[in-house]
Amino acid sequence: MRNLLLATALVPIASLANAACAPDFTGVTLTVSTQNGPFIASALKTAADSWSEKTCGTVDIVEFPFSELYPKFLTAMSQQTGDFDVIGFIPAWVPDFAPFLSAMPAAMQEGPAWEDIHPVYRERLMSWGGEVKSATMDGDMHMLNYRADLFEDADNMAAFKEKYGYDLAAPVTWDQYYDIAEFFTASEAVDYGTAEAYRRGGQQFWYFFSHAASYTNNPNTPGAMFFDPETMDAQINNPGWLKALEDYKRGLDFNPPGALNNGSGDVRPLYSGGSVAMNIDWADSGVLGATEGAIAGNVRTAILPGSDKIWNSVTDSWDTFEAPVASPFLAFGGWQLAVPTDSENKDAAWSFVQEVTSAEVSGQAIVTANTGVNPYRLSHYENLDNWSAIFTPEEAESYLAAQRGSLDSPNVALDLRLPGFFSYTEVLEIELSKAIAGQVEPQEALDAIAAEWNKLTDEFGRENQLAAYRSSMGLE
Amino acid sequence: MSQIPQLDRVKYAFIFPAFLLVLTITLFPLIYALVVSFQTIRIVPPVPAKFVGFDNYVEILGSARFWGSIQVTAMIVLISVAIQYVLGFALALALHHNVPGASLYRVSFLLPMFLAPVSVALIARMLFHPVLGPVNEFFTMFGLENLPFLTSPNFAIATLITVEIWQWTPFVVLLMLAGLQGLPTEVFEAARVDSISAWRRFRDLTFPMLLPLSVAVVFIRLIEGFKIIDTVFVLTGGGPGTSTETLTLFAYNEGFKKFNIGMTSALSFLFLIVVILFGTIYLAVAQRMIRRYQ
Repeated sequence: MRNLLLATALVPIASLANAACAPDFTGVTLTVSTQNGPFIASALKTAADSWSEKTCGTVDIVEFPFSELYPKFLTAMSQQTGDFDVIGFIPAWVPDFAPFLSAMPAAMQEGPAWEDIHPVYRERLMSWGGEVKSATMDGDMHMLNYRADLFEDADNMAAFKEKYGYDLAAPVTWDQYYDIAEFFTASEAVDYGTAEAYRRGGQQFWYFFSHAASYTNNPNTPGAMFFDPETMDAQINNPGWLKALEDYKRGLDFNPPGALNNGSGDVRPLYSGGSVAMNIDWADSGVLGATEGAIAGNVRTAILPGSDKIWNSVTDSWDTFEAPVASPFLAFGGWQLAVPTDSENKDAAWSFVQEVTSAEVSGQAIVTANTGVNPYRLSHYENLDNWSAIFTPEEAESYLAAQRGSLDSPNVALDLRLPGFFSYTEVLEIELSKAIAGQVEPQEALDAIAAEWNKLTDEFGRENQLAAYRSSMGLE
Repeated sequence: MSQIPQLDRVKYAFIFPAFLLVLTITLFPLIYALVVSFQTIRIVPPVPAKFVGFDNYVEILGSARFWGSIQVTAMIVLISVAIQYVLGFALALALHHNVPGASLYRVSFLLPMFLAPVSVALIARMLFHPVLGPVNEFFTMFGLENLPFLTSPNFAIATLITVEIWQWTPFVVLLMLAGLQGLPTEVFEAARVDSISAWRRFRDLTFPMLLPLSVAVVFIRLIEGFKIIDTVFVLTGGGPGTSTETLTLFAYNEGFKKFNIGMTSALSFLFLIVVILFGTIYLAVAQRMIRRYQ
C-alpha cells in the first residue's frame, strides 16, 4: 500500500520532469567538435549548458588544434565513422565537406529566427549546391580600424588638408588609405601609419584578397574575381590583381619594421597598443582596442576602402565608375556548424545548432570576451545597448555600422571556396611572399600562381571545379 | 650429438612468430608508404588511387622547390652542427677542467636542450623581433637598426642556425663531457710529467681518444638536424617565399596542407635517401679520419 502511494505520488513528478525536457533528448549525448578554446569552443560550451537544461540531453565538446580539424573531420566523415554529431568549421571547407553533410531541417529554414540571419550568410555562405548545409555561428569580414583621437585631432586635420587637399577621414579609396598611412608614418602623433599581415602562414593571403576585391570584383562580371566563371581559367594574373599586389606591397612603407613577419595576431596589438593609426583586420582588433588596449574610447571602424576603377575580365579593360565602389571582402566568412550525415543523433544535433545560433544565446556570445563570435544576425547589429559593456556608444555605432554596411554592400566580395582550397592557397602564399620580399617581380609571381592554379584545376577536374566555383559565387 | 640441431630448430620455431610480428610492425608502415609513393592518392579533393610508377619521384626531382629545400636544410644542418661541435667540445673541456663555478655552468649550459623546440622558437621570435627584441637593441648600439632578422633570406637562415646552435650545443657538451670524464688519467699524468704542452696533449691525446665519440655525436646531430621543422615553422613559416623551407616543412605542407598523400610518401623516401646519402658520406670521411689517427 505504501509503495502504491509512493508510486502514485511520483507519477506527476516524473511527468513534470519530462515536461521540462522540450524537445526531450534524455539519454542523448552529442559529440560536438571544433578548434581548441576559448575562441568558438567557449561559445559552444555555454550553449551546451542551456541546451542540456532545456532538452535533458548532454553535450561532449571535443576540441582539436585548428590545423587538425580539416583532416580529422574529413577522414571521419568520408569513412562514415559517426564520430561527430556537430562540427564547427570554416566556409572554405564546405566544398570538400558538402557531400558528407546533412541538409538543415526545413523547419529551421523559416520563421523570425531564420529571417533574422543576415541574407549574405543565410543565402550565400550557408548554402551549397542549392541546399542549406551549415549554419553560421560567427560573422567575419575584413574591416578598416582607425583611431578617433588621431583622425579628429584639429592639428592633424589641418596638416593633412594642407598636404593632400582633402579632409582627413576614414578612407573610401585605397589611394586615400595610403595618403593617410603616409601622413601618420611621417607625423609625430603615432609611430606608423597602418598595420597589415604579410607573413606566409599568417593569414597573409586574406589581406591581399581584401585589396584585390576592390580592383577585381566587378559588378558587371559577377563571380569573375578569382576565376573565369565560364572556363575556370585563373584570373589572378590580370591587371586588377597586379594593381592590388603593388598596393599591398606599397603598404610595407607605412607598416612597422619587420612587417613581413607579421601575421594577423601581430596586427591586432599594434593597433590596440597605439603603435599605428589604422589597421586592417577582422572584428577582433576593435574589441581588443576597446577592452584591453591603450586606445579605449577611440576605436573606430569603417568599411574597407574601394576603387572607382575595376578590371573587367570579359572586355580586358578597366571599367571606370562615377564614385568609388566599395567591395568589402568577407575574408574567412566566419565559423559555421553542420551535422554530418553519419550522425546517429541528427535531430538532437540540429536542435543544438538551433540553440547555439538562437538570437538569445548568440546575442550573449557576441558581447562575451574571448568567445570569438562576431555579429551575423540583424538583431545583433540593431541592439546597441547590448554592446555597452565593451564599447562607448560612438565606438559601438561605428563598429556595427561598418559590419552591417559591409554585408549590405551591393558589391560585397565572397571568399574563395573551392575543393582543394589549401592547394590553391599554398602556392599563393609562397609566390606572394616572394613578391613582397622583392625576390620576384609582382607580375612574375602572379603568373606563377595562375599557372599553378590552372594546373591544379586540371588535376582536380576542370568541370567539377567549375561547378563548385560557380556554386560558391552564387551563379547556379 | 644429433639432438642439438633439432633443439635449435625447435627454439627457432618458437622465436619465429615473435620475430615475424616485430618485423611486420616495424616494416609494414614503410612498405605501405613505399607502395603509396607509386600512386596518386589525394584526400582533398578525393582522387581515387591510381598506380603511376615513378611519376611522383620524377615530379619531385624536377621541382626547384625540392632542391631548394635540400640546400636550405643542408646549409642549416652542416653549419650549425659544425659550430655546435666546436663550441660544445670547447665548453666540455672547460667544464672538465673545473673552471670556477663549473657546476653552475653545467646546469645552465644544459637548460636550452630541455626546452621544446617550439618554445625555443617562440623565445627566439621575441629575441629577434626587429623592433622590440633585445638583439635589435644590441645592433642599434652600432647603428644597425631594425635588421630584418626573419624576413630577409640570408638573415633568416643565419637566425635559424643561431637558434639551432643555442639549443643543441648543450647536447654536444653533455656527451663530450661524459667522454672526457671516462678517459684514463694515467696517460695525461704521464704527458704532464714529460712537460708536454696543453695544446699537444689535446691534439695528440684528447682529440684522437675522443674521435670515435665525436663521430657518433656529430652523426646523431646531423640526423636529428635534418628533421628540423618546429623552429622554422614558428620563426619564418619557410618564408620569405621558400627561402627557409626545409625538407620536413616541405613534406608537411604537401601532406597536411595539400593532402597529397602519394607525393608526400615519395617525398618521405627521397628524404630518407638524402639523409642516408649525407650519413654515408659523413661516415666514410669519419672512418678515414679515425684510421689516420690510429
